[in-house]
Amino acid sequence: MAKAAHYCKKCVLDSTTPGISISADTGLCQFCEKFTPLSPEKKEEYHARMDALLKSPKKQGKYDVIFALSGGVDSSYTLYRLKKEYPRLRILAVQFDNGFISETALQNAQNFCDLTKSTYLRLALDQSALRDTFSKAANSRDAYPGTAKYRASDICNTCISIIKQKIIELALTTKAPYIVFAFSPGQTDAPFVTLTKPFLVWMRKIFEGNLKAMGVTDRDAYLIDAQCIQPGSPEPEVTIIHPFLVWDYDKPAFKKECIRLGWIDPDLKDHNSSNCLLNAFAIKNHLDKYHIHSYAYDLAALVRQGNMKREDAQEKLHVDVTDASIDEVQRKLNL
Amino acid sequence: MQEPRKDILDFLKTQGFLNEKTVLQDNDSLSETGVIDSITLLQLIDFLESKYKIQIPVEMITPENFDTLAGISQSVMTLKNG
Repeated sequence: MAKAAHYCKKCVLDSTTPGISISADTGLCQFCEKFTPLSPEKKEEYHARMDALLKSPKKQGKYDVIFALSGGVDSSYTLYRLKKEYPRLRILAVQFDNGFISETALQNAQNFCDLTKSTYLRLALDQSALRDTFSKAANSRDAYPGTAKYRASDICNTCISIIKQKIIELALTTKAPYIVFAFSPGQTDAPFVTLTKPFLVWMRKIFEGNLKAMGVTDRDAYLIDAQCIQPGSPEPEVTIIHPFLVWDYDKPAFKKECIRLGWIDPDLKDHNSSNCLLNAFAIKNHLDKYHIHSYAYDLAALVRQGNMKREDAQEKLHVDVTDASIDEVQRKLNL
Repeated sequence: MQEPRKDILDFLKTQGFLNEKTVLQDNDSLSETGVIDSITLLQLIDFLESKYKIQIPVEMITPENFDTLAGISQSVMTLKNG
């Protein structure tokens, strides 16, 4: 008989998810029990640091910021606000074409680059090899550590890791001092990450290990160019910034603002992505393999922080297994 | 060295989903055994800085110092006893 689910009384995690325990005393999950909200002083400190970095960036190369732009609402808004608050920034906005980006997301990305006078780059890798890699991710088990499994599906972890590696490579080769990702406060805790060569070598090695565990043989195309971080190469002078850990994360408000600016809401049934057709399948694949909803941990964090209503998060966790995109993705991935 | 080691293990159990049954040796690679990834590592650094009131310099964050329980404990003690 299936074990009855005990829900955390604060967030959306429940006891049937592997690794989650709900205290009989407090009714809270282990994350809510240990949660300490960010103090206003700390937030102010982060804001001051972001201002100091972005108001007058060191002019080292052609761009000040390499920006990861999906064309979804979070990254479109971040690009707009970044340019509004720091108008002197020279931004290279990179949209990774994983072969499953919706036409609307492509259009949104280009429109927001025009609006913000940012340079647009569509980063496309070998589409057939990418499909094979996503297929291997879907068929893999435990290629990523426990922590990563809670943060994203195996497919999304693969996609975002490729994006990170290639964006870092672009920052190193163009001498851009900053990389900006529009991760939500549920997706990361660190507003600033300073990159060092040993750290990059280490991160490259870890992702190479993940790809190897999935059976991906041609891995170099997905990794930071080894020459950029080999002994004797210049020390990186790059900081990653996550603005949503500095700004308030009020998604309904900034979605409204984006729509006012011309952002088009795509007609996707998936509640968790406004840009990628792979997402619904990736969620289902992860649930089937690990019984973990790959958005539960992020959404729970947003609820815990007060950035999302509990019922809204619960609605997002509803999986529509009849979504037509799932069949289409399975076909494209030969699964 | 016992104190940071226990705190690190507690942190990994709550934040890193280190299975209760997993036995970690002091010199096991945390990244290769799948216990941490880059994001958990950053969370761990943040946790250690606030717990021990230390500043961990970025150049210290290397696999030699931060990929094993022994390395992390030693790094924390070095900075603490500064």
